[in-house]
Amino acid sequence: MRVGLLVTCLVDLFRPSIGFSALALLERTGAEVFIPSRQTCCGQPAYNSGDRRTARELALKTLNEFEHFDYVVIPSGSCAGMVSRHYPELFNDDSDTQHRIAALGARTFELTDFLSNVLPVTIPQVGRQGRLTYHDSCAGLRELGVKQQPRSLLANANIELIEMAGAEVCCGFGGTFSVKFGDIATRMADNKCEQITATGANCVALGDLGCMLHIEGRLRRRGDITTQVLHIAEVLTGSRRASAGSDASDKTPARRYICFFAPRLAGAAQSWNLSRYTSKPGPARNCGTAACKRHYATPRDVL
Amino acid sequence: MPSMAEHANTLQNVSAKDCMLARVRSARGADESSREEELQEIARHLAAHPRGPRLMIEDDVVPAKAIGVVGSMRTRFLERARGMASTCEEVPSANQVAHAVAAYLTANGLPRVVVAWPEFASLDWRAAEIDFASRPVAATDLVGVTGAFCAIAETGTLLLLSGSETPATTSMLPETHIAVVHADRIVANMEDALALVRNDHKRLPRAVHFVSGPSRTADIEQTIVLGAHGPYRVHILLVGSGTGSGDDDREILRGGRHRFI
Amino acid sequence: MQASLRNAQGRFIEGRAQALAGVDFENLRDAAAEIRDRVLRNLDLYLEHFERTATNAGAQVHWAETSSDVNRIVLDIARRHGVRRVIKSKSMVSEECALNDALEAAGIAVVETDLGEYILQLAHEPPSHIVAPVVHKSKDEISDLFARIHRTPRKTAIPELCREAREIMRPHFVSADMGISGANFLIAETGSTLIVTNEGNGRLTTTLPRIHVAISGIEKVVATLEDAATLVRLLPRSATGQSITNYVTINTGVRRDGELDGPEHFHIILVDAGRAKLLGSELQSMLRCIRCGACMNHCPVYQNVGGHAYGWVYPGPMGSVLTPAFVGLENAGDLPNASTFCGECAVVCPVKIPLPDLMRKLREQQVERGLRAKRERVALKMWLALAQRPRLYALTTALAARMLSRLAGKKMLLHWLPFASGWTKGRDMPAPAGRTFRELYREKTRKGVKSDVRD
Repeated sequence: MRVGLLVTCLVDLFRPSIGFSALALLERTGAEVFIPSRQTCCGQPAYNSGDRRTARELALKTLNEFEHFDYVVIPSGSCAGMVSRHYPELFNDDSDTQHRIAALGARTFELTDFLSNVLPVTIPQVGRQGRLTYHDSCAGLRELGVKQQPRSLLANANIELIEMAGAEVCCGFGGTFSVKFGDIATRMADNKCEQITATGANCVALGDLGCMLHIEGRLRRRGDITTQVLHIAEVLTGSRRASAGSDASDKTPARRYICFFAPRLAGAAQSWNLSRYTSKPGPARNCGTAACKRHYATPRDVL
Repeated sequence: MPSMAEHANTLQNVSAKDCMLARVRSARGADESSREEELQEIARHLAAHPRGPRLMIEDDVVPAKAIGVVGSMRTRFLERARGMASTCEEVPSANQVAHAVAAYLTANGLPRVVVAWPEFASLDWRAAEIDFASRPVAATDLVGVTGAFCAIAETGTLLLLSGSETPATTSMLPETHIAVVHADRIVANMEDALALVRNDHKRLPRAVHFVSGPSRTADIEQTIVLGAHGPYRVHILLVGSGTGSGDDDREILRGGRHRFI
Repeated sequence: MQASLRNAQGRFIEGRAQALAGVDFENLRDAAAEIRDRVLRNLDLYLEHFERTATNAGAQVHWAETSSDVNRIVLDIARRHGVRRVIKSKSMVSEECALNDALEAAGIAVVETDLGEYILQLAHEPPSHIVAPVVHKSKDEISDLFARIHRTPRKTAIPELCREAREIMRPHFVSADMGISGANFLIAETGSTLIVTNEGNGRLTTTLPRIHVAISGIEKVVATLEDAATLVRLLPRSATGQSITNYVTINTGVRRDGELDGPEHFHIILVDAGRAKLLGSELQSMLRCIRCGACMNHCPVYQNVGGHAYGWVYPGPMGSVLTPAFVGLENAGDLPNASTFCGECAVVCPVKIPLPDLMRKLREQQVERGLRAKRERVALKMWLALAQRPRLYALTTALAARMLSRLAGKKMLLHWLPFASGWTKGRDMPAPAGRTFRELYREKTRKGVKSDVRD
């Protein structure tokens, strides 16, 4: 069973820990997990901005990179929705490609959906402290029907969930909407923040990094620096302070990697120019090693 | 002989029609060669006028003639009519209607003056000490009494048809609308009601009014207030036991006449 | 305003959910969408059929290509019949035409009879919701307005306000020469108009005056009474959460022999005003719309901005599609982008209009026609260039991750971002962790693990 992990551009840039958590979870299924090195962006920003041509080109790129896997798994409802629901529509005038891309879409799953319905896994108990609430991100919920999946995985991991009112209401992110209509988006985020606070939870989990950035950004601006905003994959792989299962991933011998092809030039530029600016001594953030996991349980824990 | 202005207007209208239809035809990519076929398809649909998905009421499938059928249709009708803020009263037979109206008026502190459809003229209003008139209502009349063509269980609705003997305004202008309907005239849903109309009337009456409770508005702060421009109160007198035994009023109604008596 | 909107929306949402409990909504809306599509597929034929049946029943059918044609036709009818006083029940098409202004300019008194529309007429404001037009106004504002305009003692209880409006309005109903209504549906089979109302003003408007004028978009035709019945099962549930509105009124032709009430003249105005051009276009499904308002009731954007922010007659997601379609994309501001694509509007739509998809189509048209801001276009181009060059992309994101992380400092929050002040004005931006996933991943695979390192 070969599974391609589409990390998504936001995870790559903002929260690598989500990628590693998703990887660890997928490896629990016993599948071989591959991370194609040339992946960049699924094209959703272009598609939703009305730039069809760009979206098409990126869809083709994704198709070529992921077509040969049995499954494609994405730790984001909106990107998974893009691939499985919207890609085919981009090729209305090209039935061959449409056929191929629809087949890809049929094998593409949002992470929690995959872990619940395709290759079910048992999640080891991670012994979370405190109460947790869940925000249903729009695309996952409405395009893919992701509702019970994260909840059953949480239950599976014995993590208590306190539902917030209006969990299904949009947080106001909406891609470029959050910048173009910043004031409205902020008000929508405020509604969400109030509902989160009202649950008394110390953590809100969700399945889409866009919403995470938006909700966390608003919580912090409102002065709430304690409520954690975590991706469901991070929650499930656990407070990495904890022992046992947490670094199981390091021990999986059958794990296969596809190295990211970061060009030498980039490497050189980084080490030459930027290494002295990297923010902290000690292990790189969330690099996934056991030591790192202990040190940096989550981005939030670093604060 | 139409005036020049009228004539010009007609011409303008004709050309506007042609332009609009031409625009529609070209936008939908109409093909002249398939026009006949399309017209036939439309004619078929209109002739068949199929019914869409409906809520099933327990005994809806039982033929309307069956004894005891009214039972749960009746329950549903009363429940939904009350849900729409109508008040309902069950009256065993037609000759008790006048007394029931009198009791209702007294209970609600209303004057014993009613304006009603002509079909109720034969009831003994004098015995009930009610000042009865059968005429078109004026804006100042307080109580209007009407019959109903039929009643709909699904939504607790009355169906009133306009006609020379069934003026629509009687149910609209007075603050209190009392409607008298026979239990035997309860049908399951709007489609069944329309089937009755089709059956009884060659052409659709000018006005078909489905009435479900007193008028209301929620325009101010989404707060529901009963009594907007129509009645404040709708009181339904449901006549007949619905058991089907020895009920003369049912026989009168069986003929498919749409009037109550 | 937001609080009252939220309150109203809560009621609408809850009401709809209750009204649909135990109803197979998907089955019902499949049927409803097909009923609308059936007519749209052969709209010209259905319109001709409608004209024939309506004329046979004694109505006169008029065709209006534009909204100003509507005004011209109404004024013409008024002039012919010597009309001085007009009452109106709610009609959104007449809002498109600014019909009231045209009537008043011609010296004809016009009174809106829907309570909400009446309040707005007094306040000289446009509606902010297609079903609850005055949802943006508080009771206190209305109390002040009534006291000022009616010159009556200020009332505070809502029932008192409603009664005052009723009493003020009664003489208008009785004395009007002409009643103007909209039409929720036109029934081709019988040549009828169908309206749904709760206040009873619609029944009075279509019954008391000697002339009834119904104004309707051409897309409102349905084939049969039964088709209309199916839609009536959905419309109030979706709109106000009622299983049925208090009144459903079907009007066919004029007063008949022996009848004591009903209009002597019935004019039906069929309005195009931008509708026909949607047929056969990628926006055609918008013509299914039955104006229930569920999309705006469930829209979190609408809830936060209210209806007036949409700038024209139709607010909410349906307005974000209809306004550009009717007044032109170039005149519609950035409406197609005023959505987060959360998708709830499409979920609740009773006729299955894929509203976010239609807004996306409009965004595509904006791009094709060069209507998008240059900065945005450049940004998109750059993004494409990057995303298609994985190496350059890796480098750029690695740089960005470091810079932003550095910029954010210990708290890992950015309070300001170049080109994204729209974001940072109201929210912080959580900073990247410092190194990208691909960097860390490569490092890890190099360091540790053996098998199958592939490029």
